Amino acid sequence: MRVGALLEHLWRRHRGAMLLLAAGNAFFQWAITRVVPAASQTGLVRELLDLAPAPVRVLIGEDLVANLSARGFLGFGWVHPFPLLLLGVWAVRVSAGGLAGEVGSGTMDLIASRPVARSSQVAAAAVAVAAGLVAIAGAGWAGTALGLQMRSLEGVAAPDLLPVAGMAFLLFASAGAVALFVSATRRDGGAAVSWCAGLLAGSYVLDYLARVWSAIAFLRPLSLFRYYDPQRILREGVAAQDVAVLAAVGAAGLVLAFATFARRDL
Amino acid sequence: MPPEPAALATDGLTKRFGAVRALEDLSLRVEQGEVFGFLGPNGAGKTTTIRLLLGLLAPSGGRATILGEAVTLGGAAWRSAVGYLPGDVAFWPQISGQRTLDFLASLSRREPVERAALLDRLGLDALTLRRAVRTYSDGMRQKLGIVQALQCRPRLVLLDEPTKGLDPLVQQAFYEVVADLRRRGTTVFVSSHVLSEAQRLCDRVAMLRAGRLVFAGDVADLRRAERRRVTAAFAADVDPQTLAHFGAPVASTPREIVLLVAQEELPALVARLGMLPLADLVVEAPSLEEAFLERYR
Repeated sequence: MRVGALLEHLWRRHRGAMLLLAAGNAFFQWAITRVVPAASQTGLVRELLDLAPAPVRVLIGEDLVANLSARGFLGFGWVHPFPLLLLGVWAVRVSAGGLAGEVGSGTMDLIASRPVARSSQVAAAAVAVAAGLVAIAGAGWAGTALGLQMRSLEGVAAPDLLPVAGMAFLLFASAGAVALFVSATRRDGGAAVSWCAGLLAGSYVLDYLARVWSAIAFLRPLSLFRYYDPQRILREGVAAQDVAVLAAVGAAGLVLAFATFARRDL
Repeated sequence: MPPEPAALATDGLTKRFGAVRALEDLSLRVEQGEVFGFLGPNGAGKTTTIRLLLGLLAPSGGRATILGEAVTLGGAAWRSAVGYLPGDVAFWPQISGQRTLDFLASLSRREPVERAALLDRLGLDALTLRRAVRTYSDGMRQKLGIVQALQCRPRLVLLDEPTKGLDPLVQQAFYEVVADLRRRGTTVFVSSHVLSEAQRLCDRVAMLRAGRLVFAGDVADLRRAERRRVTAAFAADVDPQTLAHFGAPVASTPREIVLLVAQEELPALVARLGMLPLADLVVEAPSLEEAFLERYR
């Protein structure tokens, strides 16, 4: 097993991106705490939200629109496309780059011709994806915590957001495992990125469309984003079923990635 | 005492990519300590063979062993005794040459005991190694590729087109490195289409054509098996047709004829020439280049 050396190598290759993505999420979540309207401003905000068409209100989060609470706003910070994009970029970049990217660029030959088990390569990529997601999601939570230190908001404390950050991690870890499987089947990093990004974006769009278009509501369980609802987490806590589904998809993606990569031509 | 296992051996090794037959029924044995040339034009299957030997590709048929152990797709321990230079060697552009060598040595599980000497011989200095690989020229990348393949003192080295991109001085240094490997008993399996290189470096060669083995043997045997180039000059005009049946005419004038003649025809030809007004006679063994071209014609 050469997982340690492979992880150090992945860290050297991706550390700049990881620090940037983590800083971006930290800043964004901090900024959200700054723009939460004060109690005196909620009337104006409600009028603005009422003007918005229904599909936009769905995108923002119906709970937020209904309650206009600080908790709702902070929850919105975790369904906003920006932090989702940051987490998605990491999951796709490292999954696709770790296997298909190395094969496509020719550097896989240098690794795979040495006494390195193929399972070690998949394991290293999986650990790198997970570690980066912990850092980016954790940085987001730290941004919220810092913001709440600087501006106290009624009815919400930083620890309340930890389960949300945890589920954001689990969502993208699951997506990363699927991306790792896709990467294990491809010969080119660019193609792997396209496939993984397409699947992730497709999953997001499917969840959104299934919420605003009742005719396809039955398809919503097929989207990973169906199992990630920060506002519901803040209201009711983490649903065990959501954790189970995301964990199962992640485990299946990993098993398929290990099995596929062990048998393929490089 | 059991016989020493072959450095590498294949038995009916075959690889197909869909309908394309990249390698067909290759049976080959390379003994430990040999410098073995693997020749063929582009697309003959040389790189596919090397990738099969390293377990980067799964064979469609047949089997291969390296240092007595069966080649599999996994990270088997025998790989720590093998050094490999890919044909189109690629590195991580943003990582320095030094880090690249450290990383690859750590994966090999052997100390890079030869690194310093190799860097010195190939002319890669410490300043260059500190730079990101993206700033390297093709030749510098190739040198780095050679160093990474040999730095941990492997028992078997697989080199795919090793002198590609190297200037003549560095090529010379590389040939000396291979000569040292031979002296130390390292097995070198070198794929090339530069025939003079194989002639200079190798004890034995194998030739591939369209995925099939067309020759395997000593370089000297290969040259011996090929036709000789006979140039006969005459003091008076001679009808070239009188000699045509001894071999294939390459060029002829009434006073000079050039023929490619099989070795067994030479005594009869010389006897016949003795009856003609012979002024000069040159019999040349073919270069490996000519032998190679003749095989592929």
